[in-house]
Amino acid sequence: MADPAPGLEPVITGLSALSACGRGAEVLYERAAAGEPAFGPVTRFDVSRFRAGAAAQLPGNPVLADELAAVTEEACAAARLSAGQRADSRLLLAGHTDPAAARLPAADRARRTPAADARTLAERCGLRAGHRAYTTACVAGSTAVADAAAAIRTGSAERVVVAAGYLVDEEHFALFDAGRALAPDGRVRPFSAGRQGMVLGDGVAAVVLESAAAARRRGAPVLARLAGWGRAGDAHHVSQPHPQGTGLARAVRNALHRAGRRPEDIGYVNAHGTGTAASDAAETVGLRAALGDRAVLVPVSSSKSVHGHTLESSGLLELVVTVGTLRAGRLPVNAGYLGADERCGLNLVTAGPHRAAPRYALSLNAAFGGANTALLVGAA
Amino acid sequence: MSPTTHRAGADRSTTDRAETETDRPTPHRTGAEHLTDHRAGAAVHSPTTRQAGATANTVRARAAWPEPGDTGAPAMPAGFIASTFPALVATVADRCLRRGYGEPGGPAAGGGERRTAVVLVSERGDQGTLDAVAAAVDGGRRMQPLLFFQSVPNAVLGWVAARWELVGPVVCVSPGGDPAAEGLELADLLIEDGDADDVLLLLADQAAGDGRPDRATAFLITRPS
Repeated sequence: MADPAPGLEPVITGLSALSACGRGAEVLYERAAAGEPAFGPVTRFDVSRFRAGAAAQLPGNPVLADELAAVTEEACAAARLSAGQRADSRLLLAGHTDPAAARLPAADRARRTPAADARTLAERCGLRAGHRAYTTACVAGSTAVADAAAAIRTGSAERVVVAAGYLVDEEHFALFDAGRALAPDGRVRPFSAGRQGMVLGDGVAAVVLESAAAARRRGAPVLARLAGWGRAGDAHHVSQPHPQGTGLARAVRNALHRAGRRPEDIGYVNAHGTGTAASDAAETVGLRAALGDRAVLVPVSSSKSVHGHTLESSGLLELVVTVGTLRAGRLPVNAGYLGADERCGLNLVTAGPHRAAPRYALSLNAAFGGANTALLVGAA
Repeated sequence: MSPTTHRAGADRSTTDRAETETDRPTPHRTGAEHLTDHRAGAAVHSPTTRQAGATANTVRARAAWPEPGDTGAPAMPAGFIASTFPALVATVADRCLRRGYGEPGGPAAGGGERRTAVVLVSERGDQGTLDAVAAAVDGGRRMQPLLFFQSVPNAVLGWVAARWELVGPVVCVSPGGDPAAEGLELADLLIEDGDADDVLLLLADQAAGDGRPDRATAFLITRPS
């Protein structure tokens, strides 16, 4: 792997987000730094037949296509992209097939594939250099970011807009409930004793990534740098993570290697931390394997404890949280903590405000099929 | 874009490419020209600096469903229900990997791990599972728990990766352009970027309700030594 020319380092020049915490990235940072969870009773559909009943939801019934367009528009505007620059940018969208497509006649389903949704979003926002949808479940957003970064670093793209969205819906709620994956107590308690599982959350996010040289040429604001990224598999099971966190460890090592950084350089870890028994334990082992002695020193939190698990958008929403952490100098709190679990011996951020000025932060995500991603974000 | 699964050229892959072979095509011509129409050729000629001077990745093995002699439906992997999609993906993946790597559990070259990425390119994804989920929700019926575990395309890729001990990235996309060309672009990027030495590229879509069978193609693409 050749070292990139400095001008090809991917940087983030615009972003926006929507979550159950409210509209915008600022309110998301505030709630995460304060450790104020956004969970409440599900109001969007009837949950009386399910074991679980909570989610992190916006009020009402937002329409995903519209919220994606709004957030993507905000990110492009924040990056001060001209119409011409948008036209030269490609769009990578992380999401799942709209369940409504299943109610369409077979011949009409081609209009509602994830790629078709990506095309619609690209057209609405004037992004005309190509589009693709990522459907890799809970690493879809972070995988899209990694691919965007790789394309920029290898010189095959100058600018890529990455967007992602999930809004809590009855189909996924029913699936997760049937799989007994949802926490009956309605809280996400990452790495905590007494953790009971996941809580789904609304999440829509968009990020503008471009080469450092392109950002400099047009005088664009640089919010953070994507210093490194890594993608790896557990090769273990259809849905369970490897108990030793091997894929996660490999992804972290790849990200550090790509950035030319060591574990000691990491000032904060935004963990995958879904609050399930097996996954949190595996992630702990993986972090220890990848970071060595640093693993028990570096502050760790999972912002899912505030905004919930936003599925395909989680990797991107949590990247937004991580960028905000570097810029604001306050670490997200690992909310919902009840006490130590001997299998999760990490340096958890359990109370705020926790002020810190990390130069590098790691954002981790994992998904079914043993998919793992690690994004190493550097301060601007 | 047309919802057809694969281009007419896919048929050629079943007649003369059923055995393991190694091609040494020019960059991005790793079988694409045999799969797709001339749009794949456009990907070869797109002016990207990445292509300039790039050493060609090679196609170590390929497979398809159906191939001559295939009858009935592909076998369902253990733990999956209700949809033909997991069977389609698992079968074509297994077939390709046998041709490329030998037997599951066999040693990797050099004795190390197989840093093989698994990349699924599917325009419509698992329509069978989508239908089963919708039917349960609309009918107010109990959701079968196994549907949860297969509700995302990663699941069957995890089955493949576990069986063959593949520790590279796991990626699923719905392509904005020609599926084969986009899959090859992704494979090349993963190898060039360094997270994978090999890529198992799977192109799969269930029949679009037009009477044709489910179809899938698989390529095992390898970094040149």
